[in-house]
Amino acid sequence: MHIDLYGDTLSALVTAGSLASTGHNVVLRMPQGRVRQQIIANKAAYSEPGLRRLISSGHTSGRLVYGDFDGLPGADSRAVFLALDTDESALAEKIVTRLSQVRERSWLVVNQSPFAVGFTEHLEKLLRTDGGESRRSVVALPDFLQEGTALDGMHKPPQIILGCNDGYAELLVKEIFRPFNRDRDHFLVMSPREAEFTKLAITGMLVTRISFMNDMANLADSLGIDIESVRQGVAADPRIGPAYLYPGVGFGGPGFSSNVINLVDTLDASGVGSSLLNQVIEINERQKEYLFRRLWQHYHTDLKGRTIAIWGAAFKPETGRIDNAPIIRILEALWAQGAKVRVHDPEALPALLERYGHHSGLHYASHPYAAADGTDALMVLTEWKMYWNPDLDRLRKGMKQPVILDGRNMYDPAYVREHGFTYYGVGR
Amino acid sequence: MNAFKSIPDTGTQAEQQAWADLNIQAERLRPLHLAELFRADEQRFAGFNVTAGPLLLDYSKQRVDSLALEKLFALSDSADLRGWIERLFNAETVNNTEHRAAMHWALRVPADTELKEPVEGVYSDVQSQLDRMAAMVDKIHSGQWRGMTGEVITDVVNIGVGGSDLGPLMVSRALNDFAIKSSKSLGIHFASSMDGSQMAQLLQQLRPQNTLFIVSSKSFTTVDTLYNANTALAWLERSLGKCAGLMHCHFIGVSSKPEKMSEWGIHRENQLQIWDWVGGRYSLWSCIGLPIALRIGMEGFRQLLAGAHLMDEHFRSAPWASNLPVLMALIGVWNTNCLGINAHAILPYDGRLEKLPAYLEQLEMESNGKSVNRDGELVQLHTCPVLWGEVGPNAQHAFYQLLHQGTEVVTCDFIAPALRYHEARHTVDAEELVSQHELALANCLAQSRLLALGEAALAEEGELPHYKRYRGNQPSSTLLLKELSPFSLGAMIAAYENKVFAQAVIWGINPFDQWGVEMGKKIATETLGVIRGEEAAAALDSSTRGLIDFIKAQ
Repeated sequence: MHIDLYGDTLSALVTAGSLASTGHNVVLRMPQGRVRQQIIANKAAYSEPGLRRLISSGHTSGRLVYGDFDGLPGADSRAVFLALDTDESALAEKIVTRLSQVRERSWLVVNQSPFAVGFTEHLEKLLRTDGGESRRSVVALPDFLQEGTALDGMHKPPQIILGCNDGYAELLVKEIFRPFNRDRDHFLVMSPREAEFTKLAITGMLVTRISFMNDMANLADSLGIDIESVRQGVAADPRIGPAYLYPGVGFGGPGFSSNVINLVDTLDASGVGSSLLNQVIEINERQKEYLFRRLWQHYHTDLKGRTIAIWGAAFKPETGRIDNAPIIRILEALWAQGAKVRVHDPEALPALLERYGHHSGLHYASHPYAAADGTDALMVLTEWKMYWNPDLDRLRKGMKQPVILDGRNMYDPAYVREHGFTYYGVGR
Repeated sequence: MNAFKSIPDTGTQAEQQAWADLNIQAERLRPLHLAELFRADEQRFAGFNVTAGPLLLDYSKQRVDSLALEKLFALSDSADLRGWIERLFNAETVNNTEHRAAMHWALRVPADTELKEPVEGVYSDVQSQLDRMAAMVDKIHSGQWRGMTGEVITDVVNIGVGGSDLGPLMVSRALNDFAIKSSKSLGIHFASSMDGSQMAQLLQQLRPQNTLFIVSSKSFTTVDTLYNANTALAWLERSLGKCAGLMHCHFIGVSSKPEKMSEWGIHRENQLQIWDWVGGRYSLWSCIGLPIALRIGMEGFRQLLAGAHLMDEHFRSAPWASNLPVLMALIGVWNTNCLGINAHAILPYDGRLEKLPAYLEQLEMESNGKSVNRDGELVQLHTCPVLWGEVGPNAQHAFYQLLHQGTEVVTCDFIAPALRYHEARHTVDAEELVSQHELALANCLAQSRLLALGEAALAEEGELPHYKRYRGNQPSSTLLLKELSPFSLGAMIAAYENKVFAQAVIWGINPFDQWGVEMGKKIATETLGVIRGEEAAAALDSSTRGLIDFIKAQ
């Protein structure tokens, strides 16, 4: 099938690459910018495992071609995907308006972008202006990609939520996704509004679990309890299960935070409001500064002239993105108190460099131990595999003060302390 | 006791002559009803209003005419008002009982001024303290001022009394619409009363981890403030424990006495300085204004200063006939000394100015509530009248009855902004709110009109029974602001400050001391001993003893 896809988000690339890999002919229409430049130069635009290869082999096969963002789909195009960012709803309106102006042409638009609830219906109304007799629908197909495992999520989806009011559009979408929908029917069909809201509700539930555990971790702190034992006990209950129960220094990522905020806005705008989700976000934001507070107390409210090492800038492992990541708040807090920072991350340093440039309070270290040398404390913010088993003796020799603040509860406190470190975890 | 005279026998020949001339004018004008003045001159407003910057003063409803004004200007000249203004701005020792200059005006001289420094280093000292304050404001606004546990400061409590309370409180209430949007809205609270009433309430609402206290006291010995500060400290220590970090994280001090601040425990980094030459009631322009800057941001604060500086320049340079503060002063002198009116009401028609009456009560009555002249003699003229006030529309339901139908003559200052609710943030409710503002303006103008003209304001009312009659003839001025903004408020407050100074010059008194508030503090210390049973009551009068007995019996 001939498909056009507008956008340069992670979801845009994963969808375009995956559809091309199953035989569809895809025109990927990216706006001007960094992502487009990287892709055209055959470089990775996101540090998503497998993605660059997927895109590049699609391109080599000729089934994935790069089109003009301002161009219209060709005559044989059967479906138009919109995979834009939260803040690009005006672009979506523009694209749809342009489609609507092609006389007597039928359109199927698949909206994957995380816009406000009701936006898909709004786009459909736009598309049907001047539509005449032609068949035109916009359906909502919210993405549930998890960065780091996005390709798996696409190829073996636990479910595909489709918001669609039109039987013909439903058949067409199911046809497009047939290769990913084989073992059983993964489609859950509902109205576009319901689909959009489901996406938000799922995100809301997950972040609520995390914030709940962080809240428990703060209580554990004050009660002298190790939250790790508690977490295992809680996770063992089949009614609860183990997912999203890890206390830490707060969740980030472009999707996570913007989706929850989106949900809160949706509820606020409807006049309902959600005091629970407001709390969830607030706990999360407080949690991002958790290690800073431990450090502040450790050094008796004076961090002037201290140098702090940070391992991990990405909001989670296997990604190079720092959107809403805890490191942002940590850096700003440390700088405001006159401390300097040496940071290591296997993937996210370019993103950090892009945000802060050459900053007198920030040293970009190419090696974890190089980051830690000469510092007054080490904070671990992202649980990259390479940080799980550091050479503690080597680490201690290099550091000025042997203090480890473990934001992901990766280490065994007793073992670290045995090596002469002062250890702080989250809730332990 | 003062022997009051209509023509004082102190002062120069020229002054006595000016008073004599004024008395003749007063004799002539006293019997005239204000309504007659308006009937006689259809264009009366045109001759009796003045504008300066964002302000318009209408004094056409005062019982003056151009001849009387001429004599008032002559009085100003005879009292060497021009010379005194220059002495004030040249940093001469205008505060003679405390042997120092009064340089509150220097606090609002902009950083890039071309004005000559009367005392070397003053302008740069002022700017360097403002810069230090700006850094603190920035740290608090950006959510980077940390409590002892590392949590973000979300609430600031200003502990101060008198000038260290009223100014910041009045201005930050008035300019709430200009509050800057920091990431989280910052709570700003005030605690002043020595009985701890405000503290008790605040400490119940606030969390110690997130609360920062500003201890503001020029002398850093004010009992009211130190007791409140001690209560705050004990409250923090109860939850956070005693340690050095606590002072570092939870207290800022503003004072002219760094060593006293250090003694109390204010961390050196957290000390903001003011100077001996700023009177408490003139100090909101200094770092005492920190709560204001926290509310409206440094840019807003500098606008406030700019408005005041504009008024200073106007005061220094404008001829009497177009000098807004001088006209306010002379009208006041005329009413007090020539027409014998000893009560003055401050009536803002804008709820945001609810603390303005209290602020001006202090400014005027603490400055000019004096009965001894600069030579140490008893004055022979009445000085500051009794001031009080209230938000106008609310006062209409309270004491306006007395203004309209009571037996006392009272002068009034009506104050209102012309524009309101036109800013972007009001778009949603703008229409309804604008109509409320129009209603307030209509009331403001109607009340001053009725007070001046009496029932003649409504010509066709016919014969009324006595109890329904409005005799009118109560003089008032109306001060309009283009809108209430940091700039216009700064200009207005400075206009009142300069008015107070000009009146003090004419009355020959020192407006910058306040010896009348000292003795009471001292006696209270003795009385405290008696109440606590540490001292004998014998030395006290029978009334005090009787009251103490009742207190102790409970």
